[in-house]
Amino acid sequence: MAAKNVLKTTTGLTRLAVNPFAHENLKTFYDKTLRTLAKMPADAAYRQNTESIIKNRLALVEKEPNIEKLEQQINDGLIEEVVLQAKRELKLSRQILECRAWEPLIAEAPKNQWKWPI
Amino acid sequence: MASKVVLRGIQEVKPILSVNKTESRRRALNLYRAWYRQLPYIVTNFHIPLTTTQCKSRLRSQFNKNKDLKDLRVIDMLVIKGQMELMETVNNWKQRNHVMQLFDDFSAASKSKDFLSKFYEGHEQ
Amino acid sequence: MASRLCRLIRPAVAGLARCSQMPRRATAALQHVRFDSTTAGESLKPTIKNVAQTVEIAQLEKFGHYVAENLPKFVQEVRISAGDELDILVHPEGIFPTISFLKNHHTGQFLNIIDITTMDVPTRKYRFEMIYMLMSLHFNSRIKVRSYTDELTPVDSITSEFHGANWMEREVWDMFGVFFANHPDLRRILTDYGFEGHPFRKDFPLSGYVEVRYDDEERRVVVEPLELAQEFRKFEYSSPWETFPKFRLTEGDPETPAPKEPEAKS
Repeated sequence: MAAKNVLKTTTGLTRLAVNPFAHENLKTFYDKTLRTLAKMPADAAYRQNTESIIKNRLALVEKEPNIEKLEQQINDGLIEEVVLQAKRELKLSRQILECRAWEPLIAEAPKNQWKWPI
Repeated sequence: MASKVVLRGIQEVKPILSVNKTESRRRALNLYRAWYRQLPYIVTNFHIPLTTTQCKSRLRSQFNKNKDLKDLRVIDMLVIKGQMELMETVNNWKQRNHVMQLFDDFSAASKSKDFLSKFYEGHEQ
Repeated sequence: MASRLCRLIRPAVAGLARCSQMPRRATAALQHVRFDSTTAGESLKPTIKNVAQTVEIAQLEKFGHYVAENLPKFVQEVRISAGDELDILVHPEGIFPTISFLKNHHTGQFLNIIDITTMDVPTRKYRFEMIYMLMSLHFNSRIKVRSYTDELTPVDSITSEFHGANWMEREVWDMFGVFFANHPDLRRILTDYGFEGHPFRKDFPLSGYVEVRYDDEERRVVVEPLELAQEFRKFEYSSPWETFPKFRLTEGDPETPAPKEPEAKS
């Protein structure tokens, strides 16, 4: 896998190293995220939205072995950035699961709390 | 008045640190102890013109000022501020004049003086 | 004027968006249009704010709805303020989840914290309005998260998401006295050691509580309770804020039923 990326020496972005294992990383992160999402209720909007985004990308990643073409198809910057996004989404999905963000509103704001010209 | 108290009683609030009276009491006492143990070092480090015993009585009176507080969150907030103050002192972030603020007593010393005595001292107005 | 144009948007009814395919297509479309809207507009008068076009505002509204739909537990209201600025108004419990969502979600990518500040409105039940400003370089977009608290209610620190928030939260603690739970290093940042009170609170007197002078006899700086000479005791009771028209509601503002927008610009 790594042999394909030999020519690419830099991403051109500071502190963002070339990732020779982008496919593997992406698949791991997406799988883990999907597993976390599966623990949420099926009608949670966050679960539905995120699943659709992630399944979409996972399908692309599994279909396209060439990094450059994959970047074009995902159309969201370099593959290294996409990996970072996937990593963040995984973290977020765990946080959302923990705070149960799909539940109804905790409490309305007190009256006139948001009224600005007082 | 009574209805107000009841209302406050059932009002749910987010605790700052302590959830019950014992815990907040423990925190206040711990802070007192920490200050008490640091006082000898503070006195030498900052050349405080008082004896350690005097400083200790001063410390006690400062804590006694707030002895009637009941609200756990108010106590917690004061404890947090006291803790920060102690850290600033012990780490020598404060200078001598900052530390001396803790030991200056304004009520007795200068403020009761009348116009003439101030005038003699050279302060106008 | 902008406040009059300000529109209030309720969070989308959750069921409505969920049973249709709408949110999915909305996010896909969202990405593209938000990408396209990155051209820097030329302006001959740089000091006059360019309010965004209707398309961009519609995009912001859509994104606001999207956030509200994903976090129904925390988002109380979504609002477009000052013409083209998106405000997410959340319950204090939801500050951390909302900011984390905006930062970490695929369609948000708000990776930069611009500022954290607070507004003190003593007449409200929760007097402090917390304001978090975020920026997304990825989508060239900005957003504000607003919440509320009072003097004694701790707010969750967001330093675990944004390390840059460390000093900003210290500043808010120092200036307003809002306590941040789980902050790694909460202490004063702007005021002098031994300073008492929080200067940005509206009940902090303009002259302060103490005066500082150098004492020749003591050979050090002494701090004394403030003593005002008679000629400085003439207080002016009219608030300096009255000169700002948005401070109080006037006729024609959205709360009073006004049939049409009064002539604003000439």
